[in-house]
Amino acid sequence: MPDEEVLEEGVLNPVKPEIQDPLLREIIDENQSKPAASRDPLEQAALLPEVEETVDCVVIGTGAGGAPLLARLAMAGLKVVALEAGGWHDPTKDFATDEKAQAFLFWNDERLSAGKDPVAFGRNNSGTGVGGSTLHYTAYTPRAQDDDFHLHRDFGAGVDWPFGYNELEPYYEELEHFLGISGPENYPWGKARKRSYPLAPLPLNGAAQLMQRGCAELGIRTSPAANAALSARYYQEGVGWREACTNRGFCQAGCNNGAKASMDVTFLPLAAAHGADIRPNSYVTEIERNSSGHVTGVVYTQNGIQQRIKCRNLFLCAGAIETPRLLLLNELALTSGQVGRNFMAHTGIQVWGTFAEDIRPYKGIPGSLISEDTHRPKDADFAGGYLLQSIGVMPVTFASQAARARGLWGQAGRDYMRDYNHIAGINILGDCLPHADNFLELAEEKDARGVAKPRVHFTAQPNEQRITAHAEKVMRQIWEAAGATDIWAFPRYAHTIGTARMGLSGDDAVVDANGRAFDVPNLYICDNSVFPSALAVNPALTIMAVSLRTADKFLEKERRRDQ
Amino acid sequence: MSAPFYPEGTVRALLATDLVTEATRTALAARLDAPLYEPQFFDGVTYELLRAVAARLFPQPDRETPIELAHAIDERLLKGESDGWRYEALPPDREAYRLGLGGINESAQLLFQHPFLSLSPEQQDAVLAAVQRAEAPGTTWETLPAQLFFEELLAELTENYYSHPIAQEEIGYVGMADVPGWHHLGLNNLDPREPESN
Repeated sequence: MPDEEVLEEGVLNPVKPEIQDPLLREIIDENQSKPAASRDPLEQAALLPEVEETVDCVVIGTGAGGAPLLARLAMAGLKVVALEAGGWHDPTKDFATDEKAQAFLFWNDERLSAGKDPVAFGRNNSGTGVGGSTLHYTAYTPRAQDDDFHLHRDFGAGVDWPFGYNELEPYYEELEHFLGISGPENYPWGKARKRSYPLAPLPLNGAAQLMQRGCAELGIRTSPAANAALSARYYQEGVGWREACTNRGFCQAGCNNGAKASMDVTFLPLAAAHGADIRPNSYVTEIERNSSGHVTGVVYTQNGIQQRIKCRNLFLCAGAIETPRLLLLNELALTSGQVGRNFMAHTGIQVWGTFAEDIRPYKGIPGSLISEDTHRPKDADFAGGYLLQSIGVMPVTFASQAARARGLWGQAGRDYMRDYNHIAGINILGDCLPHADNFLELAEEKDARGVAKPRVHFTAQPNEQRITAHAEKVMRQIWEAAGATDIWAFPRYAHTIGTARMGLSGDDAVVDANGRAFDVPNLYICDNSVFPSALAVNPALTIMAVSLRTADKFLEKERRRDQ
Repeated sequence: MSAPFYPEGTVRALLATDLVTEATRTALAARLDAPLYEPQFFDGVTYELLRAVAARLFPQPDRETPIELAHAIDERLLKGESDGWRYEALPPDREAYRLGLGGINESAQLLFQHPFLSLSPEQQDAVLAAVQRAEAPGTTWETLPAQLFFEELLAELTENYYSHPIAQEEIGYVGMADVPGWHHLGLNNLDPREPESN
């Protein structure tokens, strides 16, 4: 690697910071042109931030990828530090039932969306704060099915996971009981589960009842969905009592009573109870390594002050945009050529309709009804499949989407929104295949922190287009059968997946089946960037399962080394 | 089926009760009682142009004091805040707004030989509809994709409008009054504090 700046002996730092602020640049230039440095002891240049003691593991990111493994590593007695770019909130006091006021939950540093189907970020696909995106996830937690992991085996499309459902099953079960997932007694799809959900399902809201009605007409099976929100008070190991969901319907803008199993009320307090040191407002800028290619530490900015920490192992869990962005900025783990590539986003088309009934879409868990009858449709002309979910929706999110998709304005726009209480939606969560045209790269343009913005290219390919077309037809039929008028579709893509994928070989994957980077022996990656395929299911539960597995595999290796 | 009308005053009344948390009340009251605003990012003329555009996209002939939609855009651009993403085909937000508003004026001149502010409401609507369809004349639109600019403008105004308690009242939304939780779920099943349409 040319032009590397040597910070101290043995530590290489390829990141070349660029001073954005013209005033600061002027001051620096001025200082550099001064002939002699002052000898006044009070005027000596500041030293590099002092290095703290070396910890066993640094974990970057505290969402579904970072938090479970943080707890696992801390419980094994390791000295662990988590660095979280966002703040640490008290939801009971800080969270307003107001979409605009809650915008601080999203990663608002600007990303550039390119391609023919540019993917929205911000509130759609990102998160920040202690707890990461789980602070605003919808808490939909179905398990992936066995065939989800084997698209290539079954269809010759995409790539297979290096392991299958059986490997994750014990983790799914552990998570459902640890998080307190509410779900049906008998879930109609997938492999029979060994233990039922610990809590009864949450009540069906208006949209769910309408979807149930429409699906019944058409012979499509439905079930109350699995949701990581408590249908009853739940005692949680290491955390204490969490209160039941009050049907506030505001999951996507932050739960304020701890009923939703976001990481800040589950794995993170558990980790902290076992000695994990969680540092909020800590934005990582550099990953340092030695000449043999091992990571040696991390440089981050906390509340405007630069800090450094040394570590024996690094777990990068910053999500499928920030994780590859950090790797690219640091020229780390790039030998496979796959970092930033294989970007996938779930096909997520929504279909909306207007009903005579009073629905009040703001009440109840947003996704209370599910169908996986479309997991492998008989008449499919595509690889993979999708699931169907009813959707409740907050007013600003809905109005904004309707404005974008329908382009209604003037009196027509206001008239349509006066029907808000009579509108219900269904959406899908479907497969997406990796494609050479869909990738993330660093742009020339810098964000407000002076760091190169990520540019994400996404163009739906024929497989995604066919899934979307199939699903739109099915959902329109369901809504017609349920009695809807003024039906319209909003094609969209949700979740960010695949930009540092796992695989069997360093030739076509960034990490191995245990989450360890092929070319950096003490770097682990765990978030949705390691997913080799999208899975026709909401990702959070599987990210957490992979996180626990990554921790267990790491601990196994450490134990072997000790012997 | 014609769209429902909800009684006035429901949200303002709820905000005064302990059915609303302090954090929620603070957020909503700030919008409800927003002080008069002087633009700080846009110059006075451009700001008036933005207000005129907003008045056509969200006409409010039913209100003595319309909900102000432009000031949050001016504030956001002044602070350089982002909502986390941007169509790559558009320039950065500040530039997009400056160019786009200039483009609306340019199209107004070319279509009706007057600046946008001097046009009749019908003419103003015609200009905006042409921009939305990417059929508006003017050199601006050779570099700024008209449809995308219009979509972003409409989405931001829409979010500003429906974030306002009075607009939420208009659509019968009372989700902010959630302290006791919601006990009546499902179709045609209202909690006592939910307003019924007439």
